[in-house]
Amino acid sequence: MKYELLPWLILFLPLVAAGGITLFTLRYRTVSALLSIGAIVTGFVLSLIFINANGWQPAVGEISKNWLSIGTLHIDFGLKLDALSMMMLLVVTGVGGAIHIYSFGYMHEDSGFSRFFAFMSLFTFSMLGIVLANNFIEMFIFWELVGVSSYLLIGFWFEKPSAGDAAKKAFIVNRLGDFGFLLGILMIWGILGSLNFSVLQGQLSQNSLALGAMSTIAGLLVFCGAVGKSAQFPLHVWLPDAMEGPTPVSALIHAATMVAAGVYMLCRIFFVLNPEALHVIAYIGGFTALLAALIAVQQDDIKRIIAYSTLSQLGYMVMAVGLSGQTAAMFHLTTHAFFKALLFLSAGSVIIALHHEQNIWKMGSLKQKMPVTFWTFLVGALALSGMWPFSGFFSKDSILAQALEQGHQLPWLGYPLFITGVLVAGLTTFYIFRLFFVVFFGKEKSEIASHAHESPAVMTLPLVVLAIFSFIGGYLGIAGVYHGLFAGETEKSAGLAAALFEPFINSPLAAALGLCVVAIGFFAAFSLYAKADKDPLPVILGPLATAMKNKFYFDELYEATVIRLHDFIAAVMDWIDRWLVEGLCIGLVRGGTDLTGRALRLVQTGNLQTYAFLFVLGVAVVMYFVLGK
Amino acid sequence: MNASLMSLELWVIVLGVVLMLADFLVAPERRRFLAYLAIATLGALLITNLGDATTGTAFHGAFVEDTLAIFFKRFFLIAAMLVLFMSLEFSDRIAGGISEYYSLIAFALSGMLFAASANDFAMLFVSVELITITFYVLTSFQRSRLVSLEAGVKYLILGALSSAFLVFGIALVWGTTGQLNFTELARVAAQFETNKIFLIGVLFVLVGLGFKIAAFPFQIWVPDVYQGAPTPSTAFLAVGSKAAGFVLLLRVLFTALPDVAKHWADLLIVISGITILYGNLCALPQRNLRRLLGYSSISHAGYLLLGVAALSITGQAALLYYLAGYLFTVVAAFLVICVMMRHLDSEDISGLAGLNQRSPLLATTLTLAMVSLAGIPPMAGFFGKFLLLKAVIQQGAINHNHGYYCLAFTALAGVVISLYYYFGVIRAIYWSKNVPDLSPIPLSGSVKFAACVCIAGMFWIGLFPSVVLNLATEAAKALAL
Repeated sequence: MKYELLPWLILFLPLVAAGGITLFTLRYRTVSALLSIGAIVTGFVLSLIFINANGWQPAVGEISKNWLSIGTLHIDFGLKLDALSMMMLLVVTGVGGAIHIYSFGYMHEDSGFSRFFAFMSLFTFSMLGIVLANNFIEMFIFWELVGVSSYLLIGFWFEKPSAGDAAKKAFIVNRLGDFGFLLGILMIWGILGSLNFSVLQGQLSQNSLALGAMSTIAGLLVFCGAVGKSAQFPLHVWLPDAMEGPTPVSALIHAATMVAAGVYMLCRIFFVLNPEALHVIAYIGGFTALLAALIAVQQDDIKRIIAYSTLSQLGYMVMAVGLSGQTAAMFHLTTHAFFKALLFLSAGSVIIALHHEQNIWKMGSLKQKMPVTFWTFLVGALALSGMWPFSGFFSKDSILAQALEQGHQLPWLGYPLFITGVLVAGLTTFYIFRLFFVVFFGKEKSEIASHAHESPAVMTLPLVVLAIFSFIGGYLGIAGVYHGLFAGETEKSAGLAAALFEPFINSPLAAALGLCVVAIGFFAAFSLYAKADKDPLPVILGPLATAMKNKFYFDELYEATVIRLHDFIAAVMDWIDRWLVEGLCIGLVRGGTDLTGRALRLVQTGNLQTYAFLFVLGVAVVMYFVLGK
Repeated sequence: MNASLMSLELWVIVLGVVLMLADFLVAPERRRFLAYLAIATLGALLITNLGDATTGTAFHGAFVEDTLAIFFKRFFLIAAMLVLFMSLEFSDRIAGGISEYYSLIAFALSGMLFAASANDFAMLFVSVELITITFYVLTSFQRSRLVSLEAGVKYLILGALSSAFLVFGIALVWGTTGQLNFTELARVAAQFETNKIFLIGVLFVLVGLGFKIAAFPFQIWVPDVYQGAPTPSTAFLAVGSKAAGFVLLLRVLFTALPDVAKHWADLLIVISGITILYGNLCALPQRNLRRLLGYSSISHAGYLLLGVAALSITGQAALLYYLAGYLFTVVAAFLVICVMMRHLDSEDISGLAGLNQRSPLLATTLTLAMVSLAGIPPMAGFFGKFLLLKAVIQQGAINHNHGYYCLAFTALAGVVISLYYYFGVIRAIYWSKNVPDLSPIPLSGSVKFAACVCIAGMFWIGLFPSVVLNLATEAAKALAL
């Protein structure tokens, strides 16, 4: 393998940047930003060089160093290098790089500018670690590091109580999932005796029943980690609140990369999951997709709408994994990274133009005032909806096609999920164009909206770049790279025209239905919202709209059950700790010790005669002890 | 006779004489810088000694140069150099004769070096007296301070008492066995195992050594002397004198009387356990920093005795390793106190308030010293305690003696108690409510250097234990238990 050093550099450059900023350049804003941006952009360039030199499937799939050995437990610190990780490298450093550059403009007025970039670099390091990890423990460590950096970035404006709460919520909810993940890892280690992905894959491909009776449980426990990180039902509640962080953070962490880590992890450890576990995963993904899309229809905060959209799209990906379509899942993950980052950054551009106003009903008529943002947002919206020939169409279609294909074998699994997928595609188009029309068309609905103006080039340039990739991402051959890894066969590279029309040939029903619902969703949104001043939907839908608006009361439900129960147990433990442990046990020991100390101190009178007497007494006691018996 | 084995000791004595004579030749205001001469000489001796590892005996076996002696000689040289750095800082507080102070340190050092090589009761007694009598002067050197004089007198009288036991004990041993040499004694000791006069003699010798190392019940002098003596003297007393006591104890118990020692496991266990508890419990209510360190020093004598009580090579190696870490830790603590006393009238812990802002280096040094004393990783004190406990528990498993388990438990309880007062010091530095004075404390170059050496030593021994541990294991093998 050529340039073996490069992957290490790619991984550790952001850490060096984070350390350098924290230790040395906190006071020099521009230097800090350049360090951070430089680290990730260099990482992107180095990734390209590495892939160019070694191809998508290097001969040596991993490089690793022994990190620690305790008894039979050997943990390596290694880098897994295959098509999956290298494509993710490009996504993280590429999309991440665009977002870093954008942040330079977005955060420019903020007093915590340097701190922000230090956190961003820390996050990039952690995310690259997840991507490159070649064993479970290493992945788990970076998994947690990602959790920490996400916590730091959500709570970046920690002086706002809501930001602090959101950061805590995200961290704690993630920890719930991670607990399951860790249990799953321990179970796999306990049964199979290894943590290395390649070794495990070898063991399981030789004997698919190696995990025995625990097979389904181990798979689902590992899936718990993905449920937390990728915000799947029932742990989806943290992601919308995470929008309290700065918008570039939402774009980088809570749209393009971190939340995708769960999906990535599932594809990485796909060999652990048995059919039963996969079915559960598929249904949870489908349900999350539907639930989040429904909630998104009735939200008014521009970032929250996109956040629920992220949830919904993640549901798609998880569903695709559950339907054994890793290629489709990773394909959608990649295109989603482009267009969702684009949508968030465009939304950020709008938010900055309106001085941090996020309610869409106070915007309107921004089309003329912010042309670049308008056009790029439109590209993002079309790609999200799945409009041909935008990238989202191809990846979403491959998921729908996968569902149909599974339906031929397992009708009870494939067909319901296919219908759900189509339905969600329609809803997606509806809610994103609802947002689009309300924000960019109609009348100016507030004073600030009339004074808005376009963002600076450092912000719009990344938008344009991301828009280009959102547009053409579908036929760049991304799916082919993944397919080469997962199916083990390299696809012949067809021409551009063939690539453009391939979905219609492969699975005409999925493609046609998908485009139909996009059209329906678009026209519904157009007719309802093109000129609306306020939302007409509550009148039409009645109580359903209220439920959607209140996110189907999941927060309230958790508040009433889980948190209430938790508080009760905590109160009991508090009482036991305060009175029994602290008061009775520790109090007695402490008091006794203290008293003995004070009493012994009295021996030390300072009187020389006493000292000499005690000395001789001591001699007598020792002599009695030894000889007296 | 091979006198070249003693060249190190002779050089140190020459150094002491030169320092004393220099009093006549050097202008008074420059005399304090004689310390640099002393440090340079000791440094040169240490470096030449590192390469030279000839072993052998001299004076008909009374003087022995083996790996144990070499280990301790290096230890004493490093301790003396650090104490000289401290004395340099302290020098302007000594009314008369700073060069005498330096030369006394050199003489005490020569006594310690002889102690490291003593293989004969006569040599033992002479070296002990050389150390102790020098320390009588060193503790009372601040003649204008009443507490210093009081400390000196107390040390003198109680020291004389213990010397009386020591010399009486030696006389009884010689009277019953007719032997003074440790190696010879080991051959005949087995026949006297039931001879009460002989056993009383041995016990009296142990009483004398117990006084030096401050083991219960001969620890009574420690707090008063530690508190009253000039700080560099206290530091040297806590490190050098204690280590000298331990090397002699090891030689007497394991070279001269291994058969007797085996029967006294219970005695050693009880003494070790009580010493640990006594030191830690008494330190709890202390507010005076030097007194607190005095009690802490008693408890550490108890921890070190774990290694003696274990009656095994691993135990002795652990003891030596622990001493090495203890050297840097204790010198670090006293160094900070030495500088602080200049700026404070009282020695109360509350005087440390705001030290982290007044002098970050001093605050760090003291904090790390406390952390190491408390036995928290990655500092030297943690690994040392771990090795000692491991040795004790191993011995318990071999001998099926439940006393060893009780001792290990007692030691752990002692560690828990000690956390409270060690962290009380750290809390006083960083989290004091009312901070009366925040003026920066200026540090001289020698203090900065010594503090950095101590910090590096504490970390190095804790993080890379293998070097010192290998030396310690080699040294312990010389005892041939």
